[in-house]
Amino acid sequence: MRIGMFFREALRSIRANAAISVAATVTALIAVFILGAFIPSFMYVRSAVDAQKAKVDVDVYISDNASIAQVNELKGRLDTLKTDGTISGFTYVSKDDALKIMRDRLRDPSVLDQLPSNPLPAKFNVQPAEAENANAVVAAIKDDPALDPTEGIVYPQTTADRLLTAAKFVQWAGFALIGILLVAAILLIGNTIRLSIFARRREVEVMRLVGATNWFIRWPFMIEGVICGLAGAVVAVAMLWGIKVGVVDAWASGADTALTKTGSTATTIGFPLLTLVLVGAGAVLGAVGSGITLRRFLRI
Amino acid sequence: MARIEQEKPAFTLVEVPEDHSMDAMVLAPPPQPARRRKGDIFRPGNGPLVQFQGVIKKYDGEHRGLDGVSVNINTGEFVFLVGPSGSGKSTFIRLCIRELRPTSGSVIIGGRDLGELRRSKVPYLRRAIGCVFQDFRLLPDRTAAENVAYALQVTGHSRQEVRRSVPAILSLVGLEGKEDRLPREMSGGEQQRVSIARALVNQPRLLIADEPTGNLDPETSLGIMDLLLRINRTGTTVLVATHDQHTVDRMQMRVIRLDQGRIVRDAEGGYHEDPGDTGEIA
Ligand SMILES: Nc1ncnc2c1ncn2[C@@H]1O[C@H](COP(=O)(O)OP(=O)(O)OP(=O)(O)O)[C@@H](O)[C@H]1O
Ligand SMILES: [Mg+2]
Repeated sequence: MRIGMFFREALRSIRANAAISVAATVTALIAVFILGAFIPSFMYVRSAVDAQKAKVDVDVYISDNASIAQVNELKGRLDTLKTDGTISGFTYVSKDDALKIMRDRLRDPSVLDQLPSNPLPAKFNVQPAEAENANAVVAAIKDDPALDPTEGIVYPQTTADRLLTAAKFVQWAGFALIGILLVAAILLIGNTIRLSIFARRREVEVMRLVGATNWFIRWPFMIEGVICGLAGAVVAVAMLWGIKVGVVDAWASGADTALTKTGSTATTIGFPLLTLVLVGAGAVLGAVGSGITLRRFLRI
Repeated sequence: MARIEQEKPAFTLVEVPEDHSMDAMVLAPPPQPARRRKGDIFRPGNGPLVQFQGVIKKYDGEHRGLDGVSVNINTGEFVFLVGPSGSGKSTFIRLCIRELRPTSGSVIIGGRDLGELRRSKVPYLRRAIGCVFQDFRLLPDRTAAENVAYALQVTGHSRQEVRRSVPAILSLVGLEGKEDRLPREMSGGEQQRVSIARALVNQPRLLIADEPTGNLDPETSLGIMDLLLRINRTGTTVLVATHDQHTVDRMQMRVIRLDQGRIVRDAEGGYHEDPGDTGEIA
């Protein structure tokens, strides 16, 4: 019933204060654009780090002198680690398999034919459930008699540690930045709307004097804020879409072979969901910005 | 938000067939006191409508706008508030709509002590009082019709009601044909009449006008005063602050005279105490 009237009031006010409305819209546009560029980048980096983390695996080399019973016992211990969830799985790589893999990797495999016997030890390739669990795996089996005395257990400890630190940093830095961006955006929009309200301070005063309640005055301003926020968000999304199609997708298809080679499975937020988030953010920014700002002017 | 319960138009005019001038319009009586509007904050009863009890208003902590004013105005009265410039007339009026709050003493309107009125109730007080401001207080980017319409929208009237009432009230104050003018496109007198139309359109129980004829030629002034008088005859209490000696003398109503924030005279009659008086207070 009154929604229509509040809407008309909001549109009238946007028309009457075109310059300020444009300023609010542009402010929302910039805020949403930065947010929209940042969120997918952040999620991509995080997912890439996660993918790397998943690839931290532990090689457990088996001594050539170990008896079958000893190897089975080691396998039993790994089975236990799997049941309690420390590791997600492990595979056995026999001496022959190891040699085959080596042969595939070498440019000139014939050198291997000159070896009197297969020097490569058999191994269990263990995938920890979390990169953090690598140390627990090592601790659980490091005294096993079946281990190869020279190779023992091999895993990229420094890489794992660095990745873990990086992952935590990316996560917290990301959250902090998103928070700062949101607050900055609200302040910016609030400030722009304050200009608009300041310009109409007397008008609000008159409205109060003829008996308008605070909400009667507030609704059109809030709707105005939401309209500016939405308009800014829509333009920002359109610009982001252009950048995605024109730059990011082109780059990704060029880098595609490289990515599959390294086996990267990093993903990021889908564009439809991002659009939804950004449009919602624009509307909320506008409403909150004008809502907060109005409070000061409604005390006559 | 409170809405008006009655479905009839906010402002009803009855046209007298033999005369089509402004004077031919007769205001319909406002709703009977028994039929209270929803959101009406005036307490029913027979006490004075406006009651000032020892009201002192100091601006900036010391400068006295009002200096101990006690007065009663009853329902149905027509009262002039006169006095030299700076005597406190506007201060008196602004206290009535709680645009200002007294430094001490109390202002009681319709049985409500405004000092105890919650902030959220103030809009309802202002709807029950039609106020014509000395400086018009029109919304600058709205036309004459939209300014009047705003007062109706505030009280929850539908678009049809607004469309019906606004042209009628604007022609009542003699502004037909100027409905779509913005305030800056109108003369002072025309803006004043928009302000009057806006004050009238909600059929207030109390109509307060601060210098309603200050910017008008004598002829139009008479027209406006006639209008106020007719509104008063329908039962609306009217309080008019004015310098307009001629009008006050002609109407012979109750006159409250302020000087330096005090009431120096309260009696029926003309602008001065007696025709020979110059108005100087000994
Ligand atoms: N906002 C204010 N701050 C300080 N002093 C004020 C303020 N408003 C009014 N005054 C002072 O209070 C006194 C009463 O002012 P008020 O406006 O009530 O007079 P008035 O009778 O309406 O005068 P006029 O006939 O010129 O309109 C004056 O001396 C004025 O200077
Ligand atoms: Mg005055």
